[in-house]
Amino acid sequence: MVLEATMICIDNSEWMRNGDYAPTRFQAQADAVNLICGAKTQSNPENTVGVLTMAGKGVRVLVTPTSDLGKILACMHGLEVGGECNLAAGIQVAQLALKHRQNKKQQQRIIVFVGSPVKYDKKLLEMIGRKLKKNSVALDIVNFGEEDEGKTEKVEALLAAVNNNDSSHIVHIPSGPSALSDALISTPIFTGDGEGGSGFAAAAAAAAAGGVSGFDFGVDPNLDPELALALRVSMEEERARQEAAAKKAAEEAAKQEKGAEQQSSTQDATMTETVSAAAPEAENKSNDMTDDENALLQQALAMSMGDSSASAATRDTDMSEATADDQDLALALQLSVQDSTKDQASQTDMSKLLADQSFVSSILASLPGVDPNDPSVKDLLASMQNQAEPQQKDEDKAPKEEEKK
Amino acid sequence: MSAESASGIQRSQVDLLDFVDWSGVECLNYSSSHSLANALKQGYREDEGLNLESDADEQLLIYIPFIQVVKLHSIVIKGPEDEGPKTVKLFANREHMGFSNVNDFPPSDTADLSLDNIKGKPVLLKYVKFQNVRSLTIFVEDNQSGSDITKIQKIVLYGTTVETTDMKGLKKIEEH
Repeated sequence: MVLEATMICIDNSEWMRNGDYAPTRFQAQADAVNLICGAKTQSNPENTVGVLTMAGKGVRVLVTPTSDLGKILACMHGLEVGGECNLAAGIQVAQLALKHRQNKKQQQRIIVFVGSPVKYDKKLLEMIGRKLKKNSVALDIVNFGEEDEGKTEKVEALLAAVNNNDSSHIVHIPSGPSALSDALISTPIFTGDGEGGSGFAAAAAAAAAGGVSGFDFGVDPNLDPELALALRVSMEEERARQEAAAKKAAEEAAKQEKGAEQQSSTQDATMTETVSAAAPEAENKSNDMTDDENALLQQALAMSMGDSSASAATRDTDMSEATADDQDLALALQLSVQDSTKDQASQTDMSKLLADQSFVSSILASLPGVDPNDPSVKDLLASMQNQAEPQQKDEDKAPKEEEKK
Repeated sequence: MSAESASGIQRSQVDLLDFVDWSGVECLNYSSSHSLANALKQGYREDEGLNLESDADEQLLIYIPFIQVVKLHSIVIKGPEDEGPKTVKLFANREHMGFSNVNDFPPSDTADLSLDNIKGKPVLLKYVKFQNVRSLTIFVEDNQSGSDITKIQKIVLYGTTVETTDMKGLKKIEEH
Protein backbone atom coordinates (compact mmCIF):
# COMPACT_ATOMS: atom_id res chain seq x y z
CA MET A 1 0.00 0.00 0.00
CA VAL A 2 2.36 2.62 -1.27
CA LEU A 3 1.53 6.15 -0.25
CA GLU A 4 1.36 7.93 -3.56
CA ALA A 5 0.29 11.15 -5.19
CA THR A 6 -0.69 10.56 -8.81
CA MET A 7 -1.29 12.97 -11.66
CA ILE A 8 -3.16 11.58 -14.64
CA CYS A 9 -2.55 13.28 -17.98
CA ILE A 10 -5.45 12.84 -20.40
CA ASP A 11 -5.13 13.15 -24.14
CA ASN A 12 -8.22 15.00 -25.36
CA SER A 13 -6.92 15.87 -28.79
CA GLU A 14 -8.77 15.50 -32.10
CA TRP A 15 -7.36 12.02 -32.53
CA MET A 16 -9.57 10.90 -29.67
CA ARG A 17 -12.71 11.13 -31.76
CA ASN A 18 -11.78 7.88 -33.46
CA GLY A 19 -14.01 4.93 -32.74
CA ASP A 20 -11.55 2.09 -32.92
CA TYR A 21 -11.81 1.75 -29.18
CA ALA A 22 -15.46 1.42 -28.26
CA PRO A 23 -17.34 3.78 -28.12
CA THR A 24 -14.74 6.47 -28.85
CA ARG A 25 -11.10 6.64 -27.84
CA PHE A 26 -11.88 9.46 -25.50
CA GLN A 27 -14.65 7.61 -23.75
CA ALA A 28 -12.48 4.54 -23.33
CA GLN A 29 -9.83 6.75 -21.85
CA ALA A 30 -12.31 8.33 -19.44
CA ASP A 31 -13.41 4.90 -18.24
CA ALA A 32 -9.83 3.88 -17.68
CA VAL A 33 -9.18 7.07 -15.71
CA ASN A 34 -12.16 6.41 -13.47
CA LEU A 35 -10.94 2.90 -12.80
CA ILE A 36 -7.43 4.05 -12.00
CA CYS A 37 -8.68 6.72 -9.61
CA GLY A 38 -10.78 4.18 -7.80
CA ALA A 39 -7.92 1.71 -7.54
CA LYS A 40 -5.47 4.27 -6.23
CA THR A 41 -7.79 5.68 -3.59
CA GLN A 42 -8.80 2.22 -2.49
CA SER A 43 -5.32 0.83 -2.15
CA ASN A 44 -4.42 3.53 0.34
CA PRO A 45 -6.96 6.03 1.73
CA GLU A 46 -4.30 8.70 1.95
CA ASN A 47 -3.45 8.47 -1.73
CA THR A 48 -4.27 11.50 -3.82
CA VAL A 49 -5.05 11.69 -7.50
CA GLY A 50 -5.16 14.70 -9.79
CA VAL A 51 -6.17 15.07 -13.42
CA LEU A 52 -5.04 17.35 -16.20
CA THR A 53 -5.78 17.56 -19.91
CA MET A 54 -3.00 17.96 -22.42
CA ALA A 55 -4.84 19.16 -25.52
CA GLY A 56 -7.67 21.58 -26.07
CA LYS A 57 -6.67 25.20 -25.65
CA GLY A 58 -3.63 24.17 -23.68
CA VAL A 59 -2.54 22.14 -20.72
CA ARG A 60 -5.14 22.57 -18.03
CA VAL A 61 -5.20 21.09 -14.56
CA LEU A 62 -8.74 19.94 -13.89
CA VAL A 63 -8.23 18.90 -10.31
CA THR A 64 -5.15 19.06 -8.12
CA PRO A 65 -4.19 15.90 -6.25
CA THR A 66 -7.05 15.05 -3.92
CA SER A 67 -8.34 11.93 -2.24
CA ASP A 68 -11.93 12.91 -2.96
CA LEU A 69 -13.03 10.47 -5.64
CA GLY A 70 -16.26 12.32 -6.31
CA LYS A 71 -14.44 15.49 -7.22
CA ILE A 72 -12.24 13.61 -9.65
CA LEU A 73 -15.14 11.86 -11.36
CA ALA A 74 -17.09 15.10 -11.54
CA CYS A 75 -14.33 16.93 -13.32
CA MET A 76 -14.28 14.27 -16.04
CA HIS A 77 -17.72 15.39 -17.13
CA GLY A 78 -18.16 17.79 -19.99
CA LEU A 79 -14.66 17.49 -21.33
CA GLU A 80 -14.29 18.63 -24.91
CA VAL A 81 -12.27 16.79 -27.51
CA GLY A 82 -10.13 18.94 -29.73
CA GLY A 83 -6.78 20.55 -30.35
CA GLU A 84 -3.37 18.98 -30.31
CA CYS A 85 -1.75 17.12 -27.46
CA ASN A 86 1.20 18.87 -25.85
CA LEU A 87 2.97 15.94 -24.24
CA ALA A 88 6.10 17.70 -22.98
CA ALA A 89 4.24 20.57 -21.35
CA GLY A 90 1.69 18.16 -19.93
CA ILE A 91 4.28 16.08 -18.16
CA GLN A 92 6.09 19.12 -16.84
CA VAL A 93 2.90 20.67 -15.48
CA ALA A 94 2.08 17.34 -13.86
CA GLN A 95 5.48 17.33 -12.22
CA LEU A 96 4.87 20.83 -10.92
CA ALA A 97 1.48 19.89 -9.56
CA LEU A 98 3.03 16.95 -7.74
CA LYS A 99 5.78 19.11 -6.34
CA HIS A 100 3.20 21.23 -4.58
CA ARG A 101 1.32 18.32 -3.08
CA GLN A 102 0.20 18.77 0.48
CA ASN A 103 1.63 15.60 1.93
CA LYS A 104 5.31 15.59 1.11
CA LYS A 105 5.67 12.01 2.26
CA GLN A 106 3.75 10.75 -0.76
CA GLN A 107 5.67 9.24 -3.64
CA GLN A 108 5.18 11.05 -6.92
CA ARG A 109 3.72 9.32 -9.96
CA ILE A 110 2.48 10.50 -13.33
CA ILE A 111 0.23 8.38 -15.54
CA VAL A 112 0.09 9.66 -19.10
CA PHE A 113 -2.23 8.49 -21.87
CA VAL A 114 -0.55 8.84 -25.24
CA GLY A 115 -3.12 8.42 -28.00
CA SER A 116 -2.09 10.91 -30.63
CA PRO A 117 1.16 11.07 -32.59
CA VAL A 118 4.15 12.41 -30.66
CA LYS A 119 5.63 15.40 -32.41
CA TYR A 120 8.51 15.96 -30.03
CA ASP A 121 11.89 14.46 -30.78
CA LYS A 122 13.45 11.71 -28.75
CA LYS A 123 16.10 13.93 -27.20
CA LEU A 124 13.59 16.25 -25.62
CA LEU A 125 11.59 13.36 -24.24
CA GLU A 126 14.71 11.76 -22.80
CA MET A 127 15.64 15.03 -21.14
CA ILE A 128 12.21 15.26 -19.58
CA GLY A 129 12.53 11.66 -18.45
CA ARG A 130 15.89 12.30 -16.81
CA LYS A 131 14.50 15.30 -14.99
CA LEU A 132 11.64 13.19 -13.68
CA LYS A 133 14.05 10.53 -12.52
CA LYS A 134 16.22 13.11 -10.81
CA ASN A 135 13.23 14.30 -8.83
CA SER A 136 12.18 10.69 -8.13
CA VAL A 137 8.93 10.91 -10.03
CA ALA A 138 7.70 7.62 -11.50
CA LEU A 139 6.00 7.62 -14.89
CA ASP A 140 3.44 5.19 -16.30
CA ILE A 141 2.72 5.42 -20.01
CA VAL A 142 -0.42 4.06 -21.65
CA ASN A 143 0.34 3.83 -25.35
CA PHE A 144 -2.84 3.45 -27.39
CA GLY A 145 -4.60 5.00 -30.36
CA GLU A 146 -2.44 6.18 -33.24
CA GLU A 147 0.27 3.77 -34.30
CA ASP A 148 2.67 6.33 -35.64
CA GLU A 149 6.04 5.11 -36.83
CA GLY A 150 8.54 6.34 -34.29
CA LYS A 151 5.91 6.91 -31.64
CA THR A 152 6.54 3.61 -29.93
CA GLU A 153 10.25 4.18 -30.11
CA LYS A 154 9.98 7.66 -28.59
CA VAL A 155 7.71 6.52 -25.84
CA GLU A 156 9.98 3.62 -24.97
CA ALA A 157 12.95 5.99 -24.88
CA LEU A 158 11.05 8.23 -22.48
CA LEU A 159 10.33 5.29 -20.24
CA ALA A 160 13.94 4.16 -20.29
CA ALA A 161 15.07 7.62 -19.25
CA VAL A 162 12.62 7.78 -16.36
CA ASN A 163 12.72 4.23 -15.16
CA ASN A 164 14.35 3.76 -11.82
CA ASN A 165 14.24 0.26 -10.41
CA ASP A 166 11.20 -0.75 -12.44
CA SER A 167 8.97 1.77 -10.76
CA SER A 168 7.83 3.10 -14.13
CA HIS A 169 5.86 1.06 -16.64
CA ILE A 170 4.57 1.21 -20.18
CA VAL A 171 1.59 -0.60 -21.69
CA HIS A 172 0.75 -0.81 -25.36
CA ILE A 173 -2.93 -1.39 -25.97
CA PRO A 174 -3.96 -2.16 -29.55
CA SER A 175 -7.52 -1.47 -30.63
CA GLY A 176 -9.72 -4.48 -30.29
CA PRO A 177 -12.97 -5.85 -28.97
CA SER A 178 -12.02 -5.60 -25.31
CA ALA A 179 -12.27 -2.26 -23.61
CA LEU A 180 -9.22 -0.14 -22.82
CA SER A 181 -9.94 -0.33 -19.11
CA ASP A 182 -10.18 -4.12 -19.18
CA ALA A 183 -6.80 -4.37 -20.83
CA LEU A 184 -5.33 -2.05 -18.22
CA ILE A 185 -6.59 -3.99 -15.23
CA SER A 186 -4.03 -6.74 -15.54
CA THR A 187 -1.12 -4.37 -16.03
CA PRO A 188 1.28 -3.20 -13.33
CA ILE A 189 -0.21 0.27 -13.70
CA PHE A 190 -3.23 -1.03 -11.87
CA THR A 191 -1.70 -3.60 -9.63
CA GLY A 192 0.89 -1.15 -8.42
CA ASP A 193 4.02 -3.26 -8.70
CA GLY A 194 2.41 -6.42 -7.51
CA GLU A 195 0.65 -5.21 -4.43
CA GLY A 196 -1.76 -2.56 -3.36
CA GLY A 197 -4.64 -2.19 -5.78
CA SER A 198 -4.89 -5.89 -6.46
CA GLY A 199 -8.01 -6.32 -4.39
CA PHE A 200 -9.80 -3.59 -6.22
CA ALA A 201 -8.41 -4.74 -9.52
CA ALA A 202 -9.65 -8.27 -9.00
CA ALA A 203 -13.11 -7.05 -8.15
CA ALA A 204 -13.15 -4.72 -11.10
CA ALA A 205 -11.98 -7.51 -13.37
CA ALA A 206 -14.74 -9.79 -12.23
CA ALA A 207 -17.36 -7.11 -12.64
CA ALA A 208 -16.16 -5.92 -16.00
CA ALA A 209 -15.64 -9.36 -17.42
CA GLY A 210 -18.88 -10.78 -16.07
CA GLY A 211 -20.82 -8.00 -17.70
CA VAL A 212 -19.80 -8.02 -21.32
CA SER A 213 -17.43 -9.97 -23.53
CA GLY A 214 -14.96 -10.92 -20.78
CA PHE A 215 -16.19 -14.45 -20.36
CA ASP A 216 -17.11 -16.73 -23.20
CA PHE A 217 -20.67 -17.34 -22.25
CA GLY A 218 -21.67 -14.18 -20.48
CA VAL A 219 -21.75 -16.13 -17.27
CA ASP A 220 -19.37 -15.36 -14.49
CA PRO A 221 -17.91 -18.58 -13.10
CA ASN A 222 -17.71 -16.87 -9.76
CA LEU A 223 -21.44 -16.37 -9.71
CA ASP A 224 -22.60 -19.63 -11.24
CA PRO A 225 -19.86 -22.19 -11.55
CA GLU A 226 -22.03 -25.13 -12.50
CA LEU A 227 -23.70 -23.35 -15.34
CA ALA A 228 -20.39 -22.04 -16.59
CA LEU A 229 -18.92 -25.52 -16.45
CA ALA A 230 -21.86 -27.09 -18.28
CA LEU A 231 -21.66 -24.45 -20.97
CA ARG A 232 -17.95 -24.92 -21.36
CA VAL A 233 -18.21 -28.71 -21.64
CA SER A 234 -20.93 -28.57 -24.26
CA MET A 235 -18.96 -25.96 -26.16
CA GLU A 236 -15.95 -28.23 -26.22
CA GLU A 237 -18.00 -31.16 -27.38
CA GLU A 238 -19.51 -29.10 -30.13
CA ARG A 239 -16.10 -27.91 -31.22
CA ALA A 240 -14.82 -31.45 -31.17
CA ARG A 241 -17.71 -32.53 -33.31
CA GLN A 242 -17.00 -29.88 -35.85
CA GLU A 243 -13.40 -30.84 -35.93
CA ALA A 244 -14.42 -34.42 -36.37
CA ALA A 245 -16.56 -33.48 -39.32
CA ALA A 246 -13.77 -31.58 -40.98
CA LYS A 247 -11.33 -34.30 -40.22
CA LYS A 248 -13.54 -36.96 -41.68
CA ALA A 249 -13.82 -35.03 -44.88
CA ALA A 250 -10.08 -34.65 -45.06
CA GLU A 251 -9.57 -38.23 -44.04
CA GLU A 252 -11.74 -39.39 -46.85
CA ALA A 253 -9.54 -37.76 -49.45
CA ALA A 254 -6.38 -38.99 -47.77
CA LYS A 255 -7.75 -42.44 -47.50
CA GLN A 256 -8.53 -42.66 -51.11
CA GLU A 257 -4.97 -41.75 -51.95
CA LYS A 258 -3.31 -44.07 -49.52
CA GLY A 259 -5.59 -46.95 -50.09
CA ALA A 260 -5.94 -49.11 -47.06
CA GLU A 261 -5.84 -46.73 -44.17
CA GLN A 262 -6.42 -48.16 -40.79
CA GLN A 263 -9.53 -46.83 -39.24
CA SER A 264 -10.44 -47.50 -35.70
CA SER A 265 -13.24 -46.15 -33.66
CA THR A 266 -14.91 -46.64 -30.40
CA GLN A 267 -18.45 -46.55 -29.39
CA ASP A 268 -17.87 -43.88 -26.85
CA ALA A 269 -18.14 -40.18 -27.46
CA THR A 270 -17.65 -39.07 -30.99
CA MET A 271 -14.64 -37.06 -29.92
CA THR A 272 -12.49 -40.09 -29.48
CA GLU A 273 -13.64 -41.39 -32.83
CA THR A 274 -12.26 -38.42 -34.57
CA VAL A 275 -8.94 -38.68 -32.83
CA SER A 276 -8.53 -42.35 -33.47
CA ALA A 277 -9.64 -42.05 -37.03
CA ALA A 278 -6.34 -40.47 -37.95
CA ALA A 279 -3.47 -42.35 -39.51
CA PRO A 280 -1.67 -44.52 -36.93
CA GLU A 281 1.37 -42.27 -36.74
CA ALA A 282 -0.64 -39.17 -36.36
CA GLU A 283 -2.78 -40.94 -33.87
CA ASN A 284 0.09 -41.76 -31.58
CA LYS A 285 1.09 -38.18 -31.70
CA SER A 286 -2.38 -36.99 -30.95
CA ASN A 287 -2.26 -38.78 -27.67
CA ASP A 288 0.65 -36.73 -26.53
CA MET A 289 -0.54 -33.58 -28.16
CA THR A 290 -0.21 -30.82 -25.71
CA ASP A 291 2.27 -28.57 -27.44
CA ASP A 292 2.84 -26.86 -30.72
CA GLU A 293 5.66 -29.10 -31.90
CA ASN A 294 3.33 -31.98 -32.31
CA ALA A 295 0.86 -29.87 -34.13
CA LEU A 296 3.55 -28.80 -36.56
CA LEU A 297 4.62 -32.40 -36.99
CA GLN A 298 1.07 -33.30 -37.75
CA GLN A 299 0.91 -30.57 -40.29
CA ALA A 300 4.01 -31.84 -41.96
CA LEU A 301 2.57 -35.32 -42.05
CA ALA A 302 -0.66 -34.08 -43.44
CA MET A 303 1.10 -32.09 -46.08
CA SER A 304 3.08 -35.14 -47.07
CA MET A 305 -0.21 -36.91 -47.44
CA GLY A 306 -0.86 -34.14 -49.86
CA ASP A 307 -4.23 -32.75 -48.94
CA SER A 308 -5.98 -30.24 -46.83
CA SER A 309 -5.84 -32.26 -43.65
CA ALA A 310 -3.25 -29.74 -42.44
CA SER A 311 -5.99 -27.62 -40.98
CA ALA A 312 -7.49 -30.70 -39.45
CA ALA A 313 -4.18 -31.38 -37.76
CA THR A 314 -4.19 -28.04 -35.99
CA ARG A 315 -7.70 -28.56 -34.94
CA ASP A 316 -6.63 -31.89 -33.67
CA THR A 317 -4.40 -30.13 -31.18
CA ASP A 318 -7.25 -28.08 -29.80
CA MET A 319 -9.39 -31.09 -29.56
CA SER A 320 -7.00 -33.30 -27.72
CA GLU A 321 -6.45 -30.54 -25.23
CA ALA A 322 -10.15 -30.68 -24.61
CA THR A 323 -10.06 -34.41 -24.31
CA ALA A 324 -7.21 -34.22 -21.90
CA ASP A 325 -9.65 -32.89 -19.36
CA ASP A 326 -11.84 -35.89 -19.50
CA GLN A 327 -10.45 -39.09 -18.11
CA ASP A 328 -12.98 -41.24 -19.87
CA LEU A 329 -11.93 -39.82 -23.17
CA ALA A 330 -8.29 -40.41 -22.33
CA LEU A 331 -9.09 -44.03 -21.70
CA ALA A 332 -10.91 -44.20 -24.96
CA LEU A 333 -7.92 -42.66 -26.67
CA GLN A 334 -5.73 -45.40 -25.38
CA LEU A 335 -8.20 -47.98 -26.51
CA SER A 336 -8.23 -46.52 -29.95
CA VAL A 337 -4.46 -46.69 -30.12
CA GLN A 338 -4.63 -50.37 -29.43
CA ASP A 339 -7.44 -50.69 -31.90
CA SER A 340 -5.36 -49.30 -34.67
CA THR A 341 -3.21 -52.37 -34.62
CA LYS A 342 -6.16 -54.63 -35.26
CA ASP A 343 -6.76 -55.99 -38.72
CA GLN A 344 -9.01 -54.46 -41.25
CA ALA A 345 -11.86 -56.87 -40.72
CA SER A 346 -12.75 -55.75 -37.25
CA GLN A 347 -12.50 -52.16 -38.37
CA THR A 348 -14.99 -52.86 -41.05
CA ASP A 349 -17.42 -54.27 -38.57
CA MET A 350 -17.04 -51.20 -36.45
CA SER A 351 -17.57 -48.98 -39.42
CA LYS A 352 -20.66 -50.94 -40.29
CA LEU A 353 -22.04 -50.26 -36.91
CA LEU A 354 -21.31 -46.60 -37.21
CA ALA A 355 -22.73 -46.50 -40.65
CA ASP A 356 -25.99 -47.39 -39.11
CA GLN A 357 -27.60 -44.03 -38.99
CA SER A 358 -30.14 -44.79 -36.33
CA PHE A 359 -27.55 -46.26 -33.99
CA VAL A 360 -25.32 -43.26 -34.29
CA SER A 361 -28.06 -40.75 -33.80
CA SER A 362 -29.19 -42.62 -30.71
CA ILE A 363 -25.70 -42.30 -29.29
CA LEU A 364 -25.56 -38.66 -30.18
CA ALA A 365 -28.91 -37.97 -28.62
CA SER A 366 -27.73 -39.50 -25.37
CA LEU A 367 -24.79 -37.14 -25.25
CA PRO A 368 -25.55 -33.94 -23.39
CA GLY A 369 -25.70 -30.72 -25.31
CA VAL A 370 -25.91 -32.36 -28.71
CA ASP A 371 -28.76 -31.74 -31.04
CA PRO A 372 -28.96 -34.45 -33.68
CA ASN A 373 -30.55 -32.01 -36.04
CA ASP A 374 -27.64 -29.66 -35.81
CA PRO A 375 -26.09 -29.16 -39.22
CA SER A 376 -22.56 -29.84 -37.97
CA VAL A 377 -23.69 -33.13 -36.52
CA LYS A 378 -25.30 -33.96 -39.81
CA ASP A 379 -22.07 -33.16 -41.61
CA LEU A 380 -20.25 -35.51 -39.32
CA LEU A 381 -22.64 -38.28 -40.03
CA ALA A 382 -22.40 -37.63 -43.72
CA SER A 383 -18.62 -37.82 -43.64
CA MET A 384 -18.80 -41.00 -41.64
CA GLN A 385 -21.00 -42.43 -44.29
CA ASN A 386 -18.58 -41.40 -46.98
CA GLN A 387 -15.67 -43.14 -45.38
CA ALA A 388 -17.58 -46.35 -44.96
CA GLU A 389 -18.59 -46.12 -48.60
CA PRO A 390 -15.82 -48.13 -50.20
CA GLN A 391 -16.72 -51.04 -47.95
CA GLN A 392 -20.42 -50.67 -47.35
CA LYS A 393 -22.07 -49.26 -50.38
CA ASP A 394 -25.47 -50.73 -49.79
CA GLU A 395 -25.88 -49.59 -46.25
CA ASP A 396 -24.79 -46.15 -47.20
CA LYS A 397 -27.49 -45.54 -49.68
CA ALA A 398 -30.34 -45.65 -47.23
CA PRO A 399 -28.71 -43.39 -44.65
CA LYS A 400 -27.59 -41.01 -47.33
CA GLU A 401 -31.07 -40.59 -48.55
CA GLU A 402 -32.06 -39.79 -45.05
CA GLU A 403 -29.29 -37.25 -44.78
CA LYS A 404 -30.33 -35.46 -47.89
CA LYS A 405 -33.80 -34.75 -46.62
CA MET B 1 35.01 30.59 7.42
CA SER B 2 37.13 30.43 10.53
CA ALA B 3 40.91 30.38 10.06
CA GLU B 4 41.27 28.01 12.97
CA SER B 5 43.53 25.02 12.47
CA ALA B 6 41.41 22.28 11.07
CA SER B 7 43.71 19.38 11.55
CA GLY B 8 41.52 17.97 14.28
CA ILE B 9 38.08 18.37 15.65
CA GLN B 10 37.54 20.53 18.68
CA ARG B 11 37.17 18.35 21.68
CA SER B 12 33.67 19.35 22.50
CA GLN B 13 32.37 18.45 19.13
CA VAL B 14 30.80 15.04 18.71
CA ASP B 15 29.81 13.02 15.74
CA LEU B 16 26.16 13.80 15.22
CA LEU B 17 25.45 10.42 13.70
CA ASP B 18 23.56 9.35 16.82
CA PHE B 19 21.17 12.23 16.49
CA VAL B 20 20.12 11.59 12.93
CA ASP B 21 16.43 10.79 12.50
CA TRP B 22 16.78 7.89 10.09
CA SER B 23 13.07 7.69 9.28
CA GLY B 24 13.18 11.06 7.58
CA VAL B 25 16.47 10.83 5.76
CA GLU B 26 16.04 11.39 2.02
CA CYS B 27 18.28 11.61 -0.97
CA LEU B 28 17.39 12.75 -4.47
CA ASN B 29 19.08 11.56 -7.65
CA TYR B 30 21.04 8.76 -6.14
CA SER B 31 21.76 5.58 -7.98
CA SER B 32 19.72 2.82 -6.40
CA SER B 33 22.60 0.47 -5.79
CA HIS B 34 24.64 3.22 -4.17
CA SER B 35 22.42 4.75 -1.57
CA LEU B 36 22.90 7.33 1.14
CA ALA B 37 23.48 4.69 3.79
CA ASN B 38 26.80 3.89 2.16
CA ALA B 39 28.04 7.35 3.05
CA LEU B 40 26.32 7.98 6.35
CA LYS B 41 26.00 4.81 8.33
CA GLN B 42 28.60 3.57 10.73
CA GLY B 43 30.63 0.83 9.14
CA TYR B 44 29.42 1.49 5.63
CA ARG B 45 31.05 4.84 5.49
CA GLU B 46 34.40 3.44 6.53
CA ASP B 47 34.31 1.01 3.66
CA GLU B 48 36.21 2.54 0.76
CA GLY B 49 34.34 0.49 -1.78
CA LEU B 50 30.88 1.64 -0.74
CA ASN B 51 29.93 5.02 -2.13
CA LEU B 52 26.91 7.18 -2.51
CA GLU B 53 26.65 7.78 -6.24
CA SER B 54 24.51 10.12 -8.27
CA ASP B 55 22.28 8.85 -11.04
CA ALA B 56 20.93 11.00 -13.85
CA ASP B 57 23.49 13.76 -13.47
CA GLU B 58 26.18 14.89 -11.09
CA GLN B 59 24.00 16.71 -8.56
CA LEU B 60 22.77 15.27 -5.30
CA LEU B 61 20.31 16.53 -2.76
CA ILE B 62 20.54 15.03 0.70
CA TYR B 63 18.08 15.78 3.47
CA ILE B 64 19.00 14.84 7.03
CA PRO B 65 16.61 15.57 9.90
CA PHE B 66 17.74 15.28 13.51
CA ILE B 67 15.90 13.89 16.47
CA GLN B 68 16.75 16.94 18.45
CA VAL B 69 18.12 20.38 17.86
CA VAL B 70 21.86 20.48 17.23
CA LYS B 71 24.62 22.96 16.57
CA LEU B 72 26.74 22.13 13.59
CA HIS B 73 30.43 22.89 13.78
CA SER B 74 32.13 21.18 10.93
CA ILE B 75 31.64 18.57 8.28
CA VAL B 76 33.81 15.93 6.63
CA ILE B 77 33.00 14.88 3.09
CA LYS B 78 35.28 12.23 1.73
CA GLY B 79 35.30 10.91 -1.81
CA PRO B 80 37.45 9.93 -4.76
CA GLU B 81 39.75 12.60 -6.16
CA ASP B 82 38.10 13.01 -9.48
CA GLU B 83 34.47 12.20 -8.83
CA GLY B 84 34.24 13.57 -5.33
CA PRO B 85 32.04 16.61 -4.75
CA LYS B 86 33.40 20.12 -5.19
CA THR B 87 30.75 22.72 -4.47
CA VAL B 88 28.53 21.81 -1.58
CA LYS B 89 25.76 24.06 -0.33
CA LEU B 90 24.28 23.57 3.10
CA PHE B 91 20.82 24.64 4.12
CA ALA B 92 19.66 24.55 7.72
CA ASN B 93 16.04 23.92 8.59
CA ARG B 94 14.66 23.84 5.07
CA GLU B 95 12.25 20.99 4.53
CA HIS B 96 11.64 19.11 1.32
CA MET B 97 13.74 21.04 -1.08
CA GLY B 98 13.88 20.05 -4.70
CA PHE B 99 16.45 20.67 -7.39
CA SER B 100 14.24 23.38 -8.83
CA ASN B 101 14.04 25.54 -5.74
CA VAL B 102 17.51 24.87 -4.42
CA ASN B 103 18.72 28.10 -5.95
CA ASP B 104 15.85 30.15 -4.61
CA PHE B 105 17.23 30.45 -1.11
CA PRO B 106 20.66 31.56 -0.07
CA PRO B 107 22.50 28.66 1.51
CA SER B 108 23.42 28.81 5.17
CA ASP B 109 26.94 28.00 4.08
CA THR B 110 28.83 26.93 1.00
CA ALA B 111 31.77 24.56 1.14
CA ASP B 112 34.20 24.54 -1.73
CA LEU B 113 35.99 21.27 -1.23
CA SER B 114 39.67 21.13 -1.96
CA LEU B 115 41.63 17.97 -2.50
CA ASP B 116 42.54 17.96 1.17
CA ASN B 117 38.95 18.07 2.15
CA ILE B 118 38.15 15.23 -0.19
CA LYS B 119 40.80 13.17 1.54
CA GLY B 120 39.13 13.69 4.87
CA LYS B 121 40.06 17.07 6.23
CA PRO B 122 37.04 18.61 7.94
CA VAL B 123 35.49 21.76 6.61
CA LEU B 124 34.70 24.32 9.26
CA LEU B 125 31.35 25.94 8.87
CA LYS B 126 29.93 29.28 9.84
CA TYR B 127 29.06 28.17 13.32
CA VAL B 128 26.77 31.12 13.91
CA LYS B 129 24.53 30.03 11.11
CA PHE B 130 24.07 26.55 12.49
CA GLN B 131 23.06 27.25 16.04
CA ASN B 132 19.60 25.84 15.92
CA VAL B 133 19.52 23.07 13.39
CA ARG B 134 16.58 20.69 13.20
CA SER B 135 17.37 19.44 9.72
CA LEU B 136 20.19 19.80 7.26
CA THR B 137 20.00 19.79 3.50
CA ILE B 138 23.20 19.11 1.60
CA PHE B 139 23.19 20.10 -2.06
CA VAL B 140 26.11 18.74 -4.06
CA GLU B 141 26.29 20.98 -7.08
CA ASP B 142 29.21 19.57 -8.99
CA ASN B 143 32.23 17.36 -8.62
CA GLN B 144 36.01 17.74 -8.79
CA SER B 145 36.49 16.65 -12.36
CA GLY B 146 33.15 17.63 -13.88
CA SER B 147 32.19 14.06 -14.65
CA ASP B 148 28.63 12.83 -14.94
CA ILE B 149 28.63 10.94 -11.68
CA THR B 150 29.48 12.25 -8.25
CA LYS B 151 30.73 9.77 -5.71
CA ILE B 152 30.78 10.34 -1.97
CA GLN B 153 32.42 7.82 0.25
CA LYS B 154 31.80 9.35 3.67
CA ILE B 155 29.85 12.15 5.28
CA VAL B 156 30.44 13.01 8.93
CA LEU B 157 28.80 15.84 10.81
CA TYR B 158 30.46 17.30 13.87
CA GLY B 159 28.73 19.45 16.40
CA THR B 160 27.02 19.59 19.74
CA THR B 161 23.53 19.13 20.92
CA VAL B 162 21.38 21.82 22.38
CA GLU B 163 19.72 20.96 25.63
CA THR B 164 16.36 19.78 24.47
CA THR B 165 13.95 17.48 26.19
CA ASP B 166 14.08 14.02 24.83
CA MET B 167 10.41 13.10 24.90
CA LYS B 168 11.15 9.41 24.91
CA GLY B 169 13.06 9.84 28.15
CA LEU B 170 10.08 11.30 29.98
CA LYS B 171 8.70 8.82 32.46
CA LYS B 172 5.75 8.95 34.72
CA ILE B 173 6.69 9.47 38.32
CA GLU B 174 5.99 6.30 40.24
CA GLU B 175 3.54 6.64 43.07
CA HIS B 176 4.88 4.93 46.14
